[in-house]
Amino acid sequence: MTLKVALASFAHVHAGSYAHLLAAMPDVEVLAADPDGASAPDEGPRGAALAEAFGVPYVDTYDELFAWGPDAVIVTSENAGHRALVERAASVGAHVLCEKPLATEVADGEAMLAACEAAGVILMVAYPVRFAPSYLQLRANVEAGRLGDVFAVLGTNNGKIPYAARQWFVDAKQAGGGAMIDHTVHCADLIDGLTGGASATRVYAASNRILHQDKGVEVETGGLVTINYDNGLLATIDFSWSVPDNGPTWGGVSLQVTGTNGSVEIEPFRPHVGGTDANGEVFLGIGGNLDESMLDTFLDAVRTSGPAVAGQPPAVVPQPDGAVGLRTLRIVDAARRSAASGQAVDL
Amino acid sequence: MSEELAGLTVGLIGAGNISHVHVAAWKAVGARVLVYSLEGAEELAEEYGLEVVPSLDELLATEVEFVDIVTPSATHKEITLAAIKAGKNVICEKPLTLTAADSHEVIDAANAAGVRLYPAHVVRFFPAYKAAYDAIQAGRIGEVAVARFYRQASSPAGAGWYRDVAHSGGVIMDLMVHDLDQARWLCGEVTTVYAVQNPPTVDGISPVNVAAHVTLTHESGAISHCRATWGATGTTFQTGFQVAGSTGVLKFTSDADTGYREELQNGGAGGDLLIPASTLGESPYLTQLRELAIGLRGGPEPRVLASDGATAVYLAEAARASMESGQPIDMKTFVSSGAVA
Repeated sequence: MTLKVALASFAHVHAGSYAHLLAAMPDVEVLAADPDGASAPDEGPRGAALAEAFGVPYVDTYDELFAWGPDAVIVTSENAGHRALVERAASVGAHVLCEKPLATEVADGEAMLAACEAAGVILMVAYPVRFAPSYLQLRANVEAGRLGDVFAVLGTNNGKIPYAARQWFVDAKQAGGGAMIDHTVHCADLIDGLTGGASATRVYAASNRILHQDKGVEVETGGLVTINYDNGLLATIDFSWSVPDNGPTWGGVSLQVTGTNGSVEIEPFRPHVGGTDANGEVFLGIGGNLDESMLDTFLDAVRTSGPAVAGQPPAVVPQPDGAVGLRTLRIVDAARRSAASGQAVDL
Repeated sequence: MSEELAGLTVGLIGAGNISHVHVAAWKAVGARVLVYSLEGAEELAEEYGLEVVPSLDELLATEVEFVDIVTPSATHKEITLAAIKAGKNVICEKPLTLTAADSHEVIDAANAAGVRLYPAHVVRFFPAYKAAYDAIQAGRIGEVAVARFYRQASSPAGAGWYRDVAHSGGVIMDLMVHDLDQARWLCGEVTTVYAVQNPPTVDGISPVNVAAHVTLTHESGAISHCRATWGATGTTFQTGFQVAGSTGVLKFTSDADTGYREELQNGGAGGDLLIPASTLGESPYLTQLRELAIGLRGGPEPRVLASDGATAVYLAEAARASMESGQPIDMKTFVSSGAVA
């Protein structure tokens, strides 16, 4: 069965990856719209020109995109625009894969979950690191009890500042903050997957703007979040945009997990061929295409679930789902309040 | 499951070490597998849900689309020729045969019969080696100057036929043949081969704790080195390379940068203690066998052909000739003696 998959906005840098993958899939018809691209402050093509570069068909407006009757919609707009597009997708009965973070405000996230539940559509959140082979091995080991009881986690998601390609990432209103919301959610999601959805009870965050001062950025660029969970687990996440602009790769993720029987550390983006070339250090990643695994999981669920029936839950709820997106957003929201107040925040 | 391989039935011949990863790959693409082996077929079939066929002739008379030969190296030629005679396409584990002359004989037989034959040189399907190949092809490090490849494994002390050079070809033919193929894939055709081994092979039995070093020169002017070691029993399997070019260098070692590190006490508390390493990413054996099977169905030509397998064997033979003469072998004039040991 051919699936009609709509790609809503090219604001997020991942839209290109999804477009290339979708264009190469048999039994998938793609259509994209990027109506706000023309007014973006970034250099480089957006809209129809970018769709052509990605190799996907294009329409000028969301009206045309949603009137096309998509089976599924992938939302890759600015973070603050997620709610409107997800609600619109739900209103036409289309299953949704929403770029992370779920939203910029908890109330928006709650409304999105409610809209998707009422419409009976899938709401999956784009957390591709969940599909990393090293993470799957870690999770299998945790679930098999090889680590004993897991009592502490240190996560890092350090990368380059996503400034050159898309300036909205450093616009607090559009993004919901800076590095804190951009990066904390990835590690929070990985921890959520290990605990089976433990809820945060207390969050403390400290942040600063020492990195990238030359760019005149008004959002936090570095810092740490410490989280206590309802199952006793404690975790700290370094969310800093601390990879220099001339680094050999965009950055990476690590998760160091300590249990009563030992520890495991994963670095899903570490496998690579290294070296140097005329431009400096070479880093050829060989860890597999996580976006592809994530899209396969989403589209398999869309196929299996079939058309949405309002009020009926979809037959398959692919993970990470909207509930994970909301739990991780609550952590970021508490972290923002903590960083502003200097006090730990209870949830 | 693989749509391109829907309805596939494979005839597996052999049930030894490597058969397990091949079977896992065939299962992953949804294939039905019939197996024939002198030993171990019942156990393998029991473990993976295969169908045992009692003889080679009966297997070749079934509807299998092709055979996958995973028997000891010395039997590759005879079984491949039997499959070709039965009109079956063939995937054969490396080395394709134990001499280049035999490799050319099976290739000629396959061509005459209109049968396809692919050798399983799996290293071409390991992501690090493919990434290096692609980067070199794209000019990322300029002109290749000096390349080194290494491969080490635990001495196969207990497994009879590996040490018997008449059956395995020894450490160069069995283990280094992978990197001889890599050296040629990444650096181009070979002009000379110089080889040493310590300790030497005596009376056709390879020593344990043995190292072979081979230096190749290539038509492009590049120089490469392959080092293969059967180390102390228990030695971790490791591979790696460094390729230096006129504008850059590429490096990889299999034991570093894996992205997964664990330190667990007393083996863990219950659950599956042996999580196979292949859970870290798609098995290169699966990548390989899928690509070869799609090639056998008339799809795109795979990245390794029978002629590549024959050349790798030819290089390994030249290495042995070099060890005998103590001098480099000129590949323009080298004619293999055809002798196995």
